[in-house]
Amino acid sequence: MRIVNPTFGISAAADEKLAVQPLDWLNDPIALFSNSKPNARELMDGLKAKLAAVRSVDNIDFIYKPSASQPASAAVIDEVAHKYRAALLALGD
Amino acid sequence: MIESLDTEFIDMSDMSIEAFNNMAESAGWSDGMPLYVPTEEAVGRLVETVRGDNEPVGPVPPRQLMPTMQSLAANAVMAGCKPEYFPAVVAALRACLVPEYNLHGTLATTHPCTNMIMLSGPVRHETDVNCGPNCFGQGRRANAAIGRALQLIMLNVAGAQPAEMDRATQGSPGKYTFCFGENEEESPWEPYHVRKGFDATDSVVTTLAAEPPHNINDHGSNTGKGILKTIAGTMAQAGSNNVYLNGPMFVVFGPEHAQTVARDGFTVETVQEFLQEHSKVHVSRISAENLESWNGQDRHAVGEHYYPAGSPSDIQIAVAGGAGKHSAFIPAFGNTAASSMSINKT
Repeated sequence: MRIVNPTFGISAAADEKLAVQPLDWLNDPIALFSNSKPNARELMDGLKAKLAAVRSVDNIDFIYKPSASQPASAAVIDEVAHKYRAALLALGD
Repeated sequence: MIESLDTEFIDMSDMSIEAFNNMAESAGWSDGMPLYVPTEEAVGRLVETVRGDNEPVGPVPPRQLMPTMQSLAANAVMAGCKPEYFPAVVAALRACLVPEYNLHGTLATTHPCTNMIMLSGPVRHETDVNCGPNCFGQGRRANAAIGRALQLIMLNVAGAQPAEMDRATQGSPGKYTFCFGENEEESPWEPYHVRKGFDATDSVVTTLAAEPPHNINDHGSNTGKGILKTIAGTMAQAGSNNVYLNGPMFVVFGPEHAQTVARDGFTVETVQEFLQEHSKVHVSRISAENLESWNGQDRHAVGEHYYPAGSPSDIQIAVAGGAGKHSAFIPAFGNTAASSMSINKT
């Protein structure tokens, strides 16, 4: 019996290459990325305070989606990818 | 049993329906109800109905895959679609892919929204979709299978696996299927798709990221204004997404309500204006914590009220159903759009 795979599709990002480099958690810039749900900011504040105990937080920034009900735009994701070495996500609710 | 999930076709040993369903459930392809087997032959019969449609579909978020007509048809076969349903399924998916629909957000949300489908024009008769009594309920294959096919596509192509990508807190029964036809023959107003700029002879599918229908019972009112007051009261919900996110919503009049409202001189436009004004929610009905949260999101009251419909045109008006004094309010996700798409056929 031959069936058609109902999950089949061609990846729109199939040609993109990912370059993975070592991350220095004590020095590299980090984005604290909020999904803009209630309490996400409080969660991120707590995380930033924890990080402040072990490293400088001058290059740790908050990033927000414009709305909890919409995905982040490609421009925002590109900005985070270029500017930061890691992104920590808050899924507050 | 399965050689590869990365291939379009999968060679399998012959198996019973029961064995296939067990395999599909294990693979995550199932909505929990029995599936038809998407054999190459069965899929081919559906694909034949869109043979002249060469426009690529997708990418479909969140997985961002470009499905083939075969993989879309495989989901339609599994849902129980007859071949003549398939162009409506493809059009419904395309309607969900316009950016304003916000498909990624509507699939990943904790809100229980599903993809409502309304068929307008000749396709209603070609598919035998139920536009009349019990149109939101059981009993007609087109309603069951077209809506289910779109939901299986969301599961298998978009990747909206429950409790994984689909984060719905409770979900809704509408996530199995939600498809009906407009009762154009008993409507006192122009059909929905004609009001949206299509020809009456066009076959059109309209989708909305919606909650299931909320019933509006009004047996007592004998005037248009009385019925509209009851409808507006049902729309004025402090706990809906629309109350602070606005956006589109449907009011689906039962034919008897619609005819009374129209008899008393209401047009679609004056119905929308009346409902927008009278469905406002006073801030005293909103919790202090919610008011603080919404203000923090720049979602402010207008004067002392929140308006579920940001503007009268947000209220989509249609007529469906049979005899009886009931209508339906269909709230939506909020940050979305009612999307209408012409159905292409060979």
